[in-house]
Amino acid sequence: MSCPFLDYRLEANERQFDEPRAYCEAAARFVQPMRADICNDRYDLAHDSDCEIYLEHAGAADENEGENKREPENGTENRSGDGDENRAGSGEDA
Amino acid sequence: MSYDEFLAGEPVIITAALTGGVHGKETTPHLPETPEEIGKAAAEAEAAGAAVVHVHARQPNGERTFATERFQEIDDAIRRRAEDVIIQHSTGGTGAPDADRHLPLRTDPAPEMASLDMGPLNRYDHLTSENTRGLVDSLHAEMVERGVKPELELFNDGHLNEAFGLLDRRDLANPVYGTLIFGPGTLTPPAPRNFLTAIDNLPAGAQFNTLGFGRHQLPFATMGLLFGGHVRVGLEDNVYYRQGELATSNAQLVERVVRIADELGRPVATPSQAREILGL
Repeated sequence: MSCPFLDYRLEANERQFDEPRAYCEAAARFVQPMRADICNDRYDLAHDSDCEIYLEHAGAADENEGENKREPENGTENRSGDGDENRAGSGEDA
Repeated sequence: MSYDEFLAGEPVIITAALTGGVHGKETTPHLPETPEEIGKAAAEAEAAGAAVVHVHARQPNGERTFATERFQEIDDAIRRRAEDVIIQHSTGGTGAPDADRHLPLRTDPAPEMASLDMGPLNRYDHLTSENTRGLVDSLHAEMVERGVKPELELFNDGHLNEAFGLLDRRDLANPVYGTLIFGPGTLTPPAPRNFLTAIDNLPAGAQFNTLGFGRHQLPFATMGLLFGGHVRVGLEDNVYYRQGELATSNAQLVERVVRIADELGRPVATPSQAREILGL
């Protein structure tokens, strides 16, 4: 099962792509390809144990039970983010 | 290797890390992702002075894949444009099953070189790329079988111990070739004294490559040049040309380090010279 916050979009935040790319509705931005593997529970990865964005936001979503978990407009979209863009070029998987 | 090699004017091998497997076009539109884009970037990097191109494979949407077939597409695209450049496949892959880590070694022909991550490193807040000794040994065994030169990726000083352990366990063809990696997180802290200590701690006769991530790329490449090492640059490791200004291509980053090597009087190795230095 993939992350409930995962969506695939061609455009958002003034960015456009030729192929739909992984977009995190909790963080409100496109995510790095490596993180998309976590979102998709791909390989040996799992969003509910490996993703700090999910772990941070899932609790807030549970408190709003009955609301659509895929809906990002829940006041959490700008809370923190994972800082992916700040890690670009920080390597760690060369 | 040391300052003496610099003074002797030994050629420097420049590796261009073209795409990586962590960030993608969501970070910079200039990052090549498709086989055709990677092939074009490889040719441009070679023309700029790179003797080696380090490649990862991606799906059409930029996400990671370890499939042999995708590496084959990439190699074919590179060879259509750059006949001589040395192709180095990544065998890295946080979270990927060990079996998948072998797949990049199985193209036809096999890559001349492949990376070999020498130990664990953390990713994000909840992941570790384990790189167990068992996996290192099994990858190395397949590299030997297929005639692939390993590039030992030394993410921190502890991985230098792991390199000596690998030398105890297995026969490594001379010269041993390792990349010293500096940056945040699990990497060796990017300080000059740590660089000097690391090169002092290398196995005797080893050739080293120098890799600084992000804003450390240029200063550590320069230190690598000054201490007789080789250097790696590219958009996998650093997406900026200078603070606040994205690099426009891998070739742009290669051109800059070639200019510095030229100013320092360090000749840049052709792919043929690199093969001779590395014993390919």
